[in-house]
Amino acid sequence: MTTQVESPPQRDLAAQPSWWERVNKATVAMLGVTVALFIGFGLASPNFLTFGNMSNLATQVAITLIVAIAMTFVITTGQIDLSVGSTVAFVAAMTAELLQLGLDSSLVIVVGLLAGLFWGSVNGWLSAYQNIPPFIVTLAAMSIIRGFALLWTEGFSVPIDRRLFVAKIGEAEFLGFSALAWIALATTVAGGILLSRMRFGRYVNGIGAQEESVRRAGVNTRRIKMITLMLTGLAAGAAGILTAARLGSGSANAAEGFELTVIAAVVLGGTNLFGGRGTIVGTVIGALITGMIANGLTLMGVSPFLTPIVTGLVLIAAIWINLRGRSLAQLVSHLTARRT
Amino acid sequence: MSHESSGTQVGDGQVVDGRSGDGRSGDGRSGDTLVTLEGITKSFGAVQSLRGVDLRLGTGEVLGLVGDNGAGKSTLMKVLAGAIRHDAGSITVGGRQVRFHSPADARAEHIGIVYQDLALCDTLDVASNLFLGREPRRGPFVDRAEMHRQAAEMLSTLHVRVRSTYQEIGELSGGQRQAVAIARAVSFQPKVLILDEPTAALAVAEVRQVLRMIREVAARGVGVILITHRLQDLFEVCDRITVMYEGRSVDDAAIADLDIETLVGMITRSNTTTEEAA
Repeated sequence: MTTQVESPPQRDLAAQPSWWERVNKATVAMLGVTVALFIGFGLASPNFLTFGNMSNLATQVAITLIVAIAMTFVITTGQIDLSVGSTVAFVAAMTAELLQLGLDSSLVIVVGLLAGLFWGSVNGWLSAYQNIPPFIVTLAAMSIIRGFALLWTEGFSVPIDRRLFVAKIGEAEFLGFSALAWIALATTVAGGILLSRMRFGRYVNGIGAQEESVRRAGVNTRRIKMITLMLTGLAAGAAGILTAARLGSGSANAAEGFELTVIAAVVLGGTNLFGGRGTIVGTVIGALITGMIANGLTLMGVSPFLTPIVTGLVLIAAIWINLRGRSLAQLVSHLTARRT
Repeated sequence: MSHESSGTQVGDGQVVDGRSGDGRSGDGRSGDTLVTLEGITKSFGAVQSLRGVDLRLGTGEVLGLVGDNGAGKSTLMKVLAGAIRHDAGSITVGGRQVRFHSPADARAEHIGIVYQDLALCDTLDVASNLFLGREPRRGPFVDRAEMHRQAAEMLSTLHVRVRSTYQEIGELSGGQRQAVAIARAVSFQPKVLILDEPTAALAVAEVRQVLRMIREVAARGVGVILITHRLQDLFEVCDRITVMYEGRSVDDAAIADLDIETLVGMITRSNTTTEEAA
């Protein structure tokens, strides 16, 4: 009764598919946009493609990228964190206040990172273990955290002594690139390894696709979801310290609207807004695009008030591509496929 | 695997049912008795879903579990898979009475289940789904090459036809997804494999692939319990049929002794009196 069916050769089954088959198609599309923007701004402004401006662009993008890397994990699990801007402001203000109190820079850095981690933990616990949607939790946290920062600083910007170590981080350079850019690069590498090479990254992708399937496989999905929100808290804490270092002051009004820039960078790069598919390379591309638009338009002498409008339009276009990336890719594959 | 980590042994680890382990079912391809369920009851509030179910499964046997909607088939299988705790009755696995408190307890006794929703992740590739939650590692990193090699070996052995272990589950057909889910369950080396409606909503060719897999799994000595509404599938792969009706096991017969009309009559109780059915 048994029907004999020939199975495919084992070595062929495990053979890695081509680069085109493996790559996130939305990311490829956005890479195309990045190249187009480079060429466009390069032609429009002779100063755009200079090493000095590229170094400057890297510094401008760094803080966004650090938080966007962590946000990639959050969005890939199907969650969102709207409180990162407020956490950046809170930690920036706290850094300045604590330095003014005479605390050592190294201690202030540790406390700043722990503060970010604390807010991330609160967000994570409420959403993952108390089942409150992360959109609501982090929306409330956005208001609460900035409220604490305003209460502490009474709305004033708190200066940082430029001789202190924290302030020097904002000015330090290595091989022509700022310390911020190098920190962002290190964060990107760590994020890439965590997402694509470790079990944690697989569970993050799996939870965003079918959480129940991952849970039934014996994975503590609540813990994974909480950790991702702790990561954004930690990254926002680091971003807060670096913001204070770069600006030489801490303000409760810093990083307003920052969460939207970060989310835009993540989604622009091809990470699925509804979870299940995340890409760190894409997030770097997304952060570059958002940074490049601001940088390029400034060099072109365009009104700075036009920047948010252009950024918003690019975001809508990016989400359109994000939602249809796979369909477009399938169309391209269909058109280019060889009959076998 | 230690017995302490699995189901609770009744009577401080004493083997209660001395018949189990050496009993022969005497039906079809079945060998030693793997699992015996006796007098299983389960209520959800005022609703009594299981009213005393008896069931027996032998090594390498494919048992069809049939019954109308609401007969209690899925509830009974959830009890055996540790997803639901039963109220009364006994479960004997390999000669020992056990009581499952969680699916992990059932897994420790080598009882696997493939639910109708398959529990796969669409955006992960085939290999990642097969090893979800137990990925091979090299240091802190997932050993992807080894994972794909093992996945390919697993799929080849079971004649699962997919293009590559790198294919995302979302790209597979219904039959391929079902096959991957069964392969995943088989990779845990179960002694008992429960399949809940594995051929529902599949195309004809895909149904054949899944049924072939069931035969191959049973040929390895795994006892398979197949829940299905497709009666023709039962005649293709099953050795024996247990019929449930309103929370009770009411008939048990070798498939060779049945035809489809008799089976339909057993399921609908159209050939029994009201008193007998009650």
